[in-house]
Amino acid sequence: MATLSVSLNIESINVLSANLSLSVSKDMDIDSGSLARAKVKGTAADTNDLLVYKANEKNDRAYLYIKNLDAELENYIYLRNETEGNVPSGKIGGGEFAFIPLAPDKDYEVIATKVDTLIEYGIFGNDNSAVTGKG
Amino acid sequence: MATTTATLTLSSADLTGDALSLSTTATLTKAGTVTGLSQTTGVARKTTSSTAQYTLFDGDAYGNGSHKVYIKNTSTVATEYATIEINSEQMGKLYAGDWAFFPWEANADTNDIKVTPSVSTALTVEYALFYE
Repeated sequence: MATLSVSLNIESINVLSANLSLSVSKDMDIDSGSLARAKVKGTAADTNDLLVYKANEKNDRAYLYIKNLDAELENYIYLRNETEGNVPSGKIGGGEFAFIPLAPDKDYEVIATKVDTLIEYGIFGNDNSAVTGKG
Repeated sequence: MATTTATLTLSSADLTGDALSLSTTATLTKAGTVTGLSQTTGVARKTTSSTAQYTLFDGDAYGNGSHKVYIKNTSTVATEYATIEINSEQMGKLYAGDWAFFPWEANADTNDIKVTPSVSTALTVEYALFYE
């Protein structure tokens, strides 16, 4: 077992009259995970989607970090719960990121508005050795 | 124009042979521009005592954009979770102490963010929305 420490800080001096400084963190006991970079080829659902998480590759719970590395904010990537439909659950602009829990028994795929959009992503959790060919 | 930044840090000394240390920062902007998101709900909490699903953010109320969402399950009971749905599709479960941060398009009236607590005892979700 290993420990993954994850923290988020949101700060602003002018979105409210008072300073905003939100800080949260968590140490997660997990046994597997990695970071990867890949190009997203598909620009429409179900055609050349990039599989970032294969259903049941983690037991009980899974966490996704994903960042769109494109320099242009308007070159989006779309994260989709492929098992449940084609409606994007996340639209991430160039330079933006997300950290979310996944439904561990669903497939998650990514498409982009531009062919070959480079992304960075990581999946963390407890590995399910029965699932092969993971995202 | 408001300037709000979000910084995510991932680190682990023992997950892999090469220590993991990642830090990334983004300025929260409106869709397709460098203009900062100017509106926010602030940081708020909602406590429920039912397993009934409720709408945390109504897509119809915020409209198409590049909003940013923070949600945390403040429970300290490891088995208690909140299931998060977007567009009636499950995003995932936030267990005790878990949090999520993600962009939200709200591209349709049905593009709601909904929460379903796992317990009928008190469960508190902390949230903040930065929107256009």
